[in-house]
Amino acid sequence: MQASSEFQELRRRFRAWTFPMTAAFLGWYLLYVVLSGWARDFMGIKVLGNINIALILGLLQFVSTFWIAWAYARHMEKKLDPIADKLRHEVEEQAK
Amino acid sequence: MSVAAVVIVVVAAILIGAFGLRLSRTTSDFYVASRTVTPLWNASAIGGEYLSAASFLGIAGLILTHGADMLWLPVGWTGGYLVLLVLVSAPLRRSGAYTLPDFAESRLESMAVRRTASVLVVLIGWFYLMPQFQSAGIVLRAITGAPGWVGGLLVAVVVAVNVLSGGMRSITFVQAFQYWLKLTALAVPLVFLLMAWRSGGAPGLSEHDMTHWQLPLSSAKEYGLYSTYSLILATFLGTMGLPHVLVRFYTNPDGRAARRTTLVVLSLLGAFYLLPAIYGWLGRIYAPDVAGTDAVVLTLPGRVIGGTLGDVLTALVTAGAFAAFLSTSSGLTVSVAGVIAQDLFGGGAVRAFRLATLLAVAVPLGLAVWARSLPVADVVGLAFAVAASSFCPLLVLGIWWRRLSSAGALAGLFVGGGLACAAVMAQITGGPYGGLVGALLAQPAAWTVPIAFFVMVVASFLTPHRVPAGVARTMVRLHTPETLNLDRGDWRSRSS
Repeated sequence: MQASSEFQELRRRFRAWTFPMTAAFLGWYLLYVVLSGWARDFMGIKVLGNINIALILGLLQFVSTFWIAWAYARHMEKKLDPIADKLRHEVEEQAK
Repeated sequence: MSVAAVVIVVVAAILIGAFGLRLSRTTSDFYVASRTVTPLWNASAIGGEYLSAASFLGIAGLILTHGADMLWLPVGWTGGYLVLLVLVSAPLRRSGAYTLPDFAESRLESMAVRRTASVLVVLIGWFYLMPQFQSAGIVLRAITGAPGWVGGLLVAVVVAVNVLSGGMRSITFVQAFQYWLKLTALAVPLVFLLMAWRSGGAPGLSEHDMTHWQLPLSSAKEYGLYSTYSLILATFLGTMGLPHVLVRFYTNPDGRAARRTTLVVLSLLGAFYLLPAIYGWLGRIYAPDVAGTDAVVLTLPGRVIGGTLGDVLTALVTAGAFAAFLSTSSGLTVSVAGVIAQDLFGGGAVRAFRLATLLAVAVPLGLAVWARSLPVADVVGLAFAVAASSFCPLLVLGIWWRRLSSAGALAGLFVGGGLACAAVMAQITGGPYGGLVGALLAQPAAWTVPIAFFVMVVASFLTPHRVPAGVARTMVRLHTPETLNLDRGDWRSRSS
């Protein structure tokens, strides 16, 4: 079971998406901190009244958090659940 | 009026607890019942339990005091859920373990690791309960003038009574209701506050605040960059180690529902966390003098609007705050008492559970009265740091690295958790300290998390013979989708 190529494919797809995505979103969060530390003038540019770029980027962090979770759920349902279902059917066929 | 609001919330909590007891007798099984719960209700319940006093009062206070730097707290608390979702939630659900000690025992096949994890769960729970009780004291003192310990005692007694009566069994709907109560209690006054702000000519921040308060890393805090990085690490990696969070993932029937629930949780948390940020910003304009306390949310309605409407809105905010203390404290108390009863008293008997509940509540209450009061969000942040330095390495390495040995896990838990706990105790009893040492103690995660990972990996390499014998089977169980009906082994906790 563990050696079957589809099971390996399942694990590979999970890792191939999860690990780079985790790295990407950690990078995006750290970008905010880096900009705050070393690009202060840029962060202070006023866009609209009192609202500066730092504030907008800060609020975008909430939006991106939600987006990543949505993308994760979508990816799982489209790419992984079908293989898992297929594997299950095969296991059930063998059991009959 | 605010006193009446507190009385109503407290009485309602006790009544719902008593009613829940009757409900749970007629319901065949708590877990089966909760599996009929829709993702929205389930997510509301998770949000209701997760949004503690620190979320309700603390963020607004810290943003008022330190400015935009503190946006990282809510971002981190939301992002922590994301890390938990992507890296840990599905494998952990499949492991068959219900709690962190269960997972530790099943993965590493060692009672020593299980006991250590239990002690850490209890410590983290206590560090999290303590600021809930402290802020209850602050709120009650603000509205009645009662001494600080009265509010903490009130919340502790209500929670203990509720948990002891068994009312927590059907808590999902109660906690879901509390999320919406908390959201309403922040949102409705905010609508009035913003209307008053507009009709008052929409005053902006002062020139000084524009450059010093609104720009990140520019407040007067020393080592701001280090503190921010450390805060991010603690909140992102600590959420997965909070005792009351993980168990909630088991209320979902399968991985798909769990993912959908988490998605809703993230939207609910994001929606909620925008509100205290706006409170902090308004507080900078109207009430800069309450900086350094957690009182800004309670102060603003009376100060900006005033009159009867101001009183009503203050009462609403106060009710929301008490709902926050009660729901988070209840969830934590149940988790902590369960661990104390099962792992430290060695039995699931009712008497052991009652004794454990008293212990679970009494110790943090004592700490809350005895320790100097730090801002509530700071203390909660320290609990996150302890969780991030102990359970995060255990979970991540345990799930994704098959060479983790029991000796390595034990060493990492002791060193990482021990260092973080020492920093927390130093901060609570004697802090805040100045200079670099002060910054390192106030935000320990940036050095304790890497140390914990390092120790766990190196000690595992040094003790390859202590890699558990059943690791291959455990890994299959962790990483195979639960729709696959295969032999997942027959792990059962030895202590139950």
